[in-house]
Amino acid sequence: MIPSMAPAPADQAETTTAAAAPARNAGKAAITKFSKHRLFTSPGAMAGLVWLAALVTASLTAPLWLPFKTEDQDFTAVLSGPTAAHWLGTDELGRDILSRIFAAAAGTLGTSMLTVIVGVGLGTILAILAAGAGERAEGVISRVTEVMMSLPGTVIILAVIGAVGTNIPVVMAILGILMSAGIYRVILGQAKSLQSQLYVDAAKVDGAGPLRISLRHVLPGLANTIVVQAALIFAVGMLIQAGLAFIGFGPPIPQPSWGGMIQGASQHVYDAPWMMVPTGAVLALTVLSANAIGNALGKAPNTAAPHLPPAAARRQRAKAVAAIAAAAPVHVTDDASGGDAAKGTLSVRNLSVGVDNGVRLVTDVSFDVEQGTVLGLVGESGCGKTMTALSLLGLLPSGVSVTGGQILWNGRNLAATTDKDMESVRGREIALISQEPMRALDPMFTVGYQLTATIRRLRGMGKAEAGAEALSLLEKVGIVDAARILKTYPHQISGGMAQRVAIALALSGKPKLLVADEPTTALDVTVQAEILSLLRAPVKDTGMSVVMVTHDLGVVADICDQVAVMYAGQVVENGRTAAILDSPRHPYTLALLAADPHANHADSMPERLATISGQVPQPKDWPTGCRFTARCQFAGSACLEPVPLLPSGAGDGLVRCVKADQLAVEGMDWLATDVPASRLLQVTPKQTLLTKKDMA
Amino acid sequence: MALFITKRLLMALATVLVVAVLAFLLVHAIPGSPGAVSLGAGASQEAIDEVNQRLGWDDPLLTQFITWLGSAVQGDLGISLIDGRSVSADLASRLPVTASLAAGATILSAVLGIALGVTAAVRGGVLDQAIGGFVGLLVALPAFWVGVLFVYLFAVQSSIFPATGYVPFEVSPQDWALSLALPVITLAVGGAAFIARQTRASMLEALQQEHIRTLRATATPTWKILYVHALRYASLPIVAGIALQFIGLFGGSVIAEQLFAMPGLGQAVQTSVSTHDAPAVQGVVVIATVVVVAVNLVLELATKFLDPKLRAS
Repeated sequence: MIPSMAPAPADQAETTTAAAAPARNAGKAAITKFSKHRLFTSPGAMAGLVWLAALVTASLTAPLWLPFKTEDQDFTAVLSGPTAAHWLGTDELGRDILSRIFAAAAGTLGTSMLTVIVGVGLGTILAILAAGAGERAEGVISRVTEVMMSLPGTVIILAVIGAVGTNIPVVMAILGILMSAGIYRVILGQAKSLQSQLYVDAAKVDGAGPLRISLRHVLPGLANTIVVQAALIFAVGMLIQAGLAFIGFGPPIPQPSWGGMIQGASQHVYDAPWMMVPTGAVLALTVLSANAIGNALGKAPNTAAPHLPPAAARRQRAKAVAAIAAAAPVHVTDDASGGDAAKGTLSVRNLSVGVDNGVRLVTDVSFDVEQGTVLGLVGESGCGKTMTALSLLGLLPSGVSVTGGQILWNGRNLAATTDKDMESVRGREIALISQEPMRALDPMFTVGYQLTATIRRLRGMGKAEAGAEALSLLEKVGIVDAARILKTYPHQISGGMAQRVAIALALSGKPKLLVADEPTTALDVTVQAEILSLLRAPVKDTGMSVVMVTHDLGVVADICDQVAVMYAGQVVENGRTAAILDSPRHPYTLALLAADPHANHADSMPERLATISGQVPQPKDWPTGCRFTARCQFAGSACLEPVPLLPSGAGDGLVRCVKADQLAVEGMDWLATDVPASRLLQVTPKQTLLTKKDMA
Repeated sequence: MALFITKRLLMALATVLVVAVLAFLLVHAIPGSPGAVSLGAGASQEAIDEVNQRLGWDDPLLTQFITWLGSAVQGDLGISLIDGRSVSADLASRLPVTASLAAGATILSAVLGIALGVTAAVRGGVLDQAIGGFVGLLVALPAFWVGVLFVYLFAVQSSIFPATGYVPFEVSPQDWALSLALPVITLAVGGAAFIARQTRASMLEALQQEHIRTLRATATPTWKILYVHALRYASLPIVAGIALQFIGLFGGSVIAEQLFAMPGLGQAVQTSVSTHDAPAVQGVVVIATVVVVAVNLVLELATKFLDPKLRAS
């Protein structure tokens, strides 16, 4: 009838995950709080709430204040525009439009509510039933709703009117039934994800019945989505009801209805065009209000950042880059003369990366990568390794940018290079391999298309030549039936195969530096070694350098020449791989080695592997002193002061620990088993700290 | 794929059958027997009974349904109680009107909606907010009100388009297009807003996919990332949204036909429901369902074809 029988898509698609998380026991209260928060911070939704409240109040109290009765006819002012007597004018019988609008409001809103109650109620019940009752029942219910959604709803509603007459409440209730299918579709996904939560399983084990689970655990988690749907359906219901009245299926004649009034106005569009304005505006405002409330509630609080930011954000970033370029005047360097340009040396100097809202992610990171060498960036998740790696290609996610320092690539500062200019660097000079090979390839195009298009672009080859090159690249990365793989889509190949393809893609532009972000983490152990050896080959053969992000010290030992250990956005130790693995100086490096099963020799394998208690602190919780203090077995009062990166004494290595020398001299190990209480210190900022020496 | 198509065809057939049963039952709930309706007020009870007898109104419901279904399959949907004309012939002459309306409105909505949605997602910033506000307004405006506004603007103020009426294509293609313009634009306003939202959301989701980063890392030009790769990824939900929109617009034509005096299916539903013309109501419900289900089926197959995962299996 009106745009569609289905609820407007709004931003509802994202609500599924938004409300699923806080759905535990006290979920209801939490969600209401959450929703309220979002509702009251949206100006549109607030205006909508005020308008709806005013409309309902005005409509219910209408008999008390309306200047005219709905049927009063003022023949002295037929078809009048707004006057002192008739604020919104009159219709063809001289009836006061303002009075009629408000007299009709209560009925319109009330019967639309009926659609909401029936539609959302039925949709929710069906979704909860389907989510809880197993696949068969879900299949049946889903088929039925699919059929319902593919019906010409308007025509059916009219046939219903033929049978039951213009009984508005009944018609609106049946409309609710027709619309419940769409609501079911929206709610089902979320109900299913709630059903599969661990705490629901726990409740089942505890013996809670299906009804109890649905009401206590699933329904509260759906509350937000239900309210969103209710608001959107309310709006659609109003539009459909007005549409029905417009084509003559409204309340019986003298009784006012918004649709009927617009129909009346449409008859006088030639002689009194004003007439359609007030009613249309009130109807549109009311629908707008309901939509605004629904959209405000339904907006997911934080959706993932796009990998290609919108043009407006790109312009902003370009400005930021220009600012950096201005701040750090082109350091076209003393150490890189013209002849070196082709070589491929990377020198990162005091790099800082931060979120646009001020949160720091990486601070003051420096490292060098010589041509033909492999640097490992090591650390736990959340240490800023990936952000550091992505900044090398200028591919930081939307809202994150380089806030300081330099990325010198053959003497050119990439941190001050515009996105446009980076296009000549990406792929051709610096290439990327990411962690999840399956997600790194475009699922909509064949491997062959992706590879050939990239080769043609990066190497300027013709179609046939690029095709042959694609084939040989795939063979080079160890794919036996390369011709067949070229014809497949990414979902048709295994993860290991996909990573080989991704490597071929990265190598297709003959880059001088490869940034590999945990290239083996998502793969089977059996495949990992092969992938690493694939990366080693071009390093040896063509002098390519690699920045390898990993948390796996086995990978480091296997392939890296140099290591930079990162913790909480800083480099805490760096140096030659052998030196660091054999004689680590920083407690964090010690701990990582002690916690790694592969780093311990089989004969000296301890009974229990060490752990590092706690977690990497969030950027906002970074202390001013050593950022590892809270988790360090050796922490002391000296650690509360900022710690510089100083020569570690082992080769050209650097370490950021005030106790590094002392630890090296005393040969302390990170304790694997129960740490004596005397050694593990709870560090809170105010507490006076005892050094290990004091205790001993 | 063949199995999938067979399954969908059976589903579509079942849908039409269910609706036929539903329509049949609804029609029997319409107040007044066919005799009373066709003879009008003042007819004698004997005459009414005689007509009812002739139409088989007193037979068991199942017999009546099977008889109706039997002739419906052969293309005979009965005779109008009001003017005695063949329902099939009447609907056959009306179908092209509604089909041109709904198809035109769907195509226009898709073109405008995709353009707006892609622009909002790709440009971002102020333009995104402006388009979002504009689209939000369009969703809230009732189609019939927009229609009246267009009549006022384009037919009353400046007579660019005819305000009402329909000129068949055979008579004059140019007048046909002109007579369709206002109703199509009227219907497309809401449809475009719906598709714009769907497109914007799908494009944003596509741009969040990790393969977009791979494309950037291999120096793919921005236009190609946006309009080849992201749009291709977003095309699945967009086409699904268009299919949903067609259903809505097909129904929406009831209003457009009323407003612009177009002799289409919507007008037929409206008059036959008002006059309690049972066979006509039943016929138009079934025909509308067949059209909507068929178009939906085609678009669904198109969506599946767009998805490499489903195409291969």
